[in-house]
Amino acid sequence: MESGLLLRDAPLTAAREVARGMWVLSFEAPEVAATARAGQFVNLGLEGFLLRRPFSVYRAEGERIEVVLKAVGAGTQRLVSMRPGDVVSCLGPLGHGFDFGGRGSWKTAVLLSGGLGVAPMPLAARDARAAGLQVTWVHGARTADELCSESDGDDVIMATDDGTSGFAGTAVAAAPDADVILACGPNRMLAAVADRWPEAQAAVETYMGCGTGVCLGCAVPLARGGYDRACTEGPVYRAGDIDWTTLPSHLSYPVSA
Amino acid sequence: MTLDMSVRLGGLSLRGPVLAASGTFGYGTEVPLLERRALGGMVSKGIFLKPRQGTPPPRIAETPSGMLNAIGLQGPGADALVRDYAPQWAKWDFPVLVNINGESAAEYGELTARLDGVPGVAGFEINISCPNVEQGGMYFGNDPRAAAAVTEAVRKRTRLPVWVKLTPMVSDIGVIARAVEAAGADALSAVNTFVGMSIDLNAYRPRLSFRTGGLSGPAIRPLAVHLAHQAARAVDIPVVGVGGIMTAEDALEFLVAGCSAVQVGTATFVNPNAIAEVHDGIAAFMAAKGFASLADLPRYLPRD
Repeated sequence: MESGLLLRDAPLTAAREVARGMWVLSFEAPEVAATARAGQFVNLGLEGFLLRRPFSVYRAEGERIEVVLKAVGAGTQRLVSMRPGDVVSCLGPLGHGFDFGGRGSWKTAVLLSGGLGVAPMPLAARDARAAGLQVTWVHGARTADELCSESDGDDVIMATDDGTSGFAGTAVAAAPDADVILACGPNRMLAAVADRWPEAQAAVETYMGCGTGVCLGCAVPLARGGYDRACTEGPVYRAGDIDWTTLPSHLSYPVSA
Repeated sequence: MTLDMSVRLGGLSLRGPVLAASGTFGYGTEVPLLERRALGGMVSKGIFLKPRQGTPPPRIAETPSGMLNAIGLQGPGADALVRDYAPQWAKWDFPVLVNINGESAAEYGELTARLDGVPGVAGFEINISCPNVEQGGMYFGNDPRAAAAVTEAVRKRTRLPVWVKLTPMVSDIGVIARAVEAAGADALSAVNTFVGMSIDLNAYRPRLSFRTGGLSGPAIRPLAVHLAHQAARAVDIPVVGVGGIMTAEDALEFLVAGCSAVQVGTATFVNPNAIAEVHDGIAAFMAAKGFASLADLPRYLPRD
């Protein structure tokens, strides 16, 4: 049971477009903002939709948390059309986030994001630096105008599949090695991460029901067989522990690997 | 005026009429933020004798006012339940019924024998209505002889309360209700999920890997109220209403339609404190209407 779990109404305070069709929404949720750690998520409830929608916490500062999303379905369309003052029901923070410092020998971190996989990275950059790590952020997208315009790292590398900006190729190909690799993006990209760095920490995206460990809807297939829950044991996993070939993606649009 | 929210039904004394429905409350250790004072009782996630992995993802899909699920009764098996969960249940101030499953009547009986007498296990809810398993499940629940055989197999192995959870996927729920009543059931839970299907128009295939799933949520509530009412008309044992209850008014519909108690399920996924809000809303309704106890609530239950 999450002792720090909160259920609060959270008003929208601001929204900004950070790539073509990619929006960052800010909500007033001071208690959630105070406790959210990188890689954790919130489950947002909207009037008129039965199930909540899970989103990584993108930033948490002062009174506000931020999430990043694209309008891919009716729920996310509603979210991007919200106006300041409109309220969501915020359940969180949920799940287990990234690990930054179990081992004192870590000196360098690579944050690896594909498309909307930027979602946990600003908080990851914050927490990695707080743990004394040198941070390199490698961000990839299909094309230049789909690259997130916000980045945060001691070193930033951009990559595009079509070569319209930065490194021509995938973010995985563009990334240097480091003591700790944190990755988020489409499953195809995370599978490539797992091949290159089985020890990498990968934040997965799954279909999700309750977000609190009860419904077993967010089953993540494990390489050793069986399933566990993205919302509770995850959403951050050792990349080599996931059976990437059978983890479905609900991203209905292509994102750079 | 003091309000008596307690109910006696199916061999159990409950402090309130709102229970947690199977599969929406885990083993009772998982749900955060719920004010447990409001919990009349809990039905565990469905369990088989042996551990089960469940179905591959995707397992859930949202539909208008509802959700489809095909979890496939993932669970740790009876031994782990006895070792890890029952000892905790034994300390709780509300009863826990175990939702039991099997691929044959004999397997239901064997599972009952394994759990009977284990401290913390207050009773059984026989699941003959799960739509998401290849063997057994719903197929026992739409054949009155099979439903009775499973109920008898369980009844013979325990003196604890035995409830039977009915499937809505039948042409006459009264036939099944009477069959399991005659076989020794103490109460009925009505109803489990409806079988549904939803198609992914990008992939040209079902959205769930299991192809079909069980539909729950407000979408099924009027259907469930009707079926619970039909079951209550058909039998003399109590009926526990379940299906799409989100609010106290929804629960009161089931109670007035002839149910003795209710189970709240999918609502907990959306609002972890839903059970307490339903309980408190029923109490507020009774107080406003001047009813001192649930027995005073008028029931609409013409007999068959």
